[in-house]
Amino acid sequence: MLKIEHLTKSYGEKKAVDDLSLHIAAGEIFGFIGHNGAGKSTTLKCAVGILQFDSGEITVNGNSIMRDPVKCKQDIAYIPDNPDLYDFMSGIKYLNFIADVFGIPSDVRQERIRKYADAFELTSDLAQPISAYSHGMKQKLAVISAWLHNPKLIIMDEPFVGLDPKAAHILKEMMREHCNAGGAIFFSTHVLEVAEKLCDKVAIIKQGKLVKVGTMEEVKGDESLEEVFLELEEEKED
Amino acid sequence: MVRILLKKQFSETFKSYFFDVKKNRMRSKTSIILWFAFFFLIMVGLLGGSFTFLAVAMCGSMVSVDMGWMYFVIMGGIGIVLGAFGSIFNTFSTLYLAKDNDQLLSLPIPVKTILTARLLTVYLMGTMYSSIVVIPTIVVYWVVAGLTISRLICGLVFYLLVTVIVMLLSCILGWVVAKISLKLKNKSFVTVLLSLTFIGLYYFFYFRATNLVRDIVVNAQIYGEKLKGASVLIYKFGTIGEGNFASAAVFTAVIAAILALVVYVLSRTFIGIATSSGKVSKARYVEKTVKQKTAFRALLDKEFKRFTSSSTYMLNTGLGLLFIPAMGVFFIIMGGEISYVLNSFFSGMSGASGVLFCAMLLMLSSMCDMSTPSVSLEGKSVWIPQTLPVEAKTVLRAKLSMHLILCAPLTLFAVVCAAAVIDGPIALKLLVVLLPMVYCVFSAIFGLVIGTKMAIMNWTNEMAPIKQSGAVLISIFGTWGFVVVFAGLYLLFAYKIGAVLYIALFTVAILAASAFLLRWLDTKGAKIFSRL
Repeated sequence: MLKIEHLTKSYGEKKAVDDLSLHIAAGEIFGFIGHNGAGKSTTLKCAVGILQFDSGEITVNGNSIMRDPVKCKQDIAYIPDNPDLYDFMSGIKYLNFIADVFGIPSDVRQERIRKYADAFELTSDLAQPISAYSHGMKQKLAVISAWLHNPKLIIMDEPFVGLDPKAAHILKEMMREHCNAGGAIFFSTHVLEVAEKLCDKVAIIKQGKLVKVGTMEEVKGDESLEEVFLELEEEKED
Repeated sequence: MVRILLKKQFSETFKSYFFDVKKNRMRSKTSIILWFAFFFLIMVGLLGGSFTFLAVAMCGSMVSVDMGWMYFVIMGGIGIVLGAFGSIFNTFSTLYLAKDNDQLLSLPIPVKTILTARLLTVYLMGTMYSSIVVIPTIVVYWVVAGLTISRLICGLVFYLLVTVIVMLLSCILGWVVAKISLKLKNKSFVTVLLSLTFIGLYYFFYFRATNLVRDIVVNAQIYGEKLKGASVLIYKFGTIGEGNFASAAVFTAVIAAILALVVYVLSRTFIGIATSSGKVSKARYVEKTVKQKTAFRALLDKEFKRFTSSSTYMLNTGLGLLFIPAMGVFFIIMGGEISYVLNSFFSGMSGASGVLFCAMLLMLSSMCDMSTPSVSLEGKSVWIPQTLPVEAKTVLRAKLSMHLILCAPLTLFAVVCAAAVIDGPIALKLLVVLLPMVYCVFSAIFGLVIGTKMAIMNWTNEMAPIKQSGAVLISIFGTWGFVVVFAGLYLLFAYKIGAVLYIALFTVAILAASAFLLRWLDTKGAKIFSRL
């Protein structure tokens, strides 16, 4: 579904991502963990076509994000770490805007909006301007908009930040359902317990370089993900 | 503690003097000093100077007919209006909508200290505005009528009373604005309407000011007697400035009592006001089936929504939308006469009126620069169009289309009006239609090109991309410069080739430039946008 091959991205002199390769297959929930500034967000932004990169290749379903970005983006949904949405729109207008751009027929979108907004208990707030939303409500709206066009690949940067426990639980269920239906999810998180329970595969990045990748069992063995992560962090400091 | 809070309040009020929103960092010391010097120059030099001039114009004549009290009523009234209206929005945000109320209330600071600091801020801001009128008023009176002990003391009392009245009015008006603001729907449109009304009134009085002052001075005694008969209170207020101790004492007592009442009411209600959420009644969501739009139409509608949701955006970039049709109407009424006068004045230059009519229309087109800040206005939400399955050039075309849909029909109306009344051959009339229409497209594309090339995305206040960006500066002055060149070249040299050929050449040149810039937008511009 998503192939990242030898990705390198620099900001000036500093290499934010250094020769990183990852494969995310259909049906997988792929967790991406690392310390602050490790290069997680940069990788995700490169994968969705927001950032240009120095070298390497990223493909979504065989299409290059560099050469055929529009085709790739039709299969992708992205949720950034901070959901800066269009504050001048109401929630429902924003969802309809996204639906229009993805060409979702009226009846289909209506049904999906009802389903997901009800699940996140956001229906009664949909007519409110987004500027009046709390961080959590914006995050819920971003999640709904991501699921609206039934994308093949969903890329999320810290999706659980700001969500209340119930909404976080619903999101986890939606992620699992999405992958069971043949989709793929690639997301970054600092909540290692969530990654441990939810992910089929995990990758750990440190200072732009991939230090460990594999199935959850392969990465953590008999230890907890937190212990593995901390050990890797210490190794680097040594 | 009050001093610390006051310092914080003023840092907030004048934050743009300390913080560069464009560069998202603190200004240097030199820059801060220069900004404050500029502010001081405007307040004291320009505004203070204007009111000193007004005071000088009125004082001598009025004092000579024993109408000094009316002089103080008029100038004091101007000071009160300027002070109250000048600081009304500051009061609103300082007293009723302060963002840090929760934070301050959680700190070990007595509520009365917070309230005192807030009120003092309101008082000092109002005093700053009213002083530019009242100080010259009193000083000019002392110079003209002579300085005595009673005039000195009562003059100072008059000044203090005006500043306290300003504060009281600001508190009340700020409260009214807070209440209206909570209830209002379509705030941006109401703000635009109120701003335009205010601008209209300002210019109405500005252009009539000389006649008004002359009328008041000439008929001071008649108006004075009428005013005195209608309101003894106003008369007594004016006599304070003349040195009337009795009036000063009575007004001081009354204003002090009102002040005490306002402070009492505010102190009783402050926590309630400060901690109110300020939320309006919630809009009810009713599910309904919406018609599916194309991606381009969705992007276009989004651009319109962005434009109409911000009074700052509408007022600063769309004023031309009002002036263009107004110019059309003006052409219908006066155009024929003006065309005749221009052709007579420039008798050696055939079709001069056509060139100058075009120049007027181009100038008005230049006042519409909606497309220029539209890229920067994406701000932190730019990730949305960047991750959607649409080409960047489609996003840019939507921005361009919004500008053209707003401007082109109005320009067409104005140019048809101009062509109808202009004195000249058919070819000239056709070109008077064609050039401004082509220029309307050009200025939209040019603005968007500059706006894309010089986009600023890390702003915290939308004023930065709309009013303070280099792109807007270049877009406006660049297009104005173009108009000056267009008219100037013709009047200086090009009249020799005749207006028809001259306008035709310019039209072709602009058309070519538009095509070139549009191509740039679709290729390089799109690339820049997708990497912002």
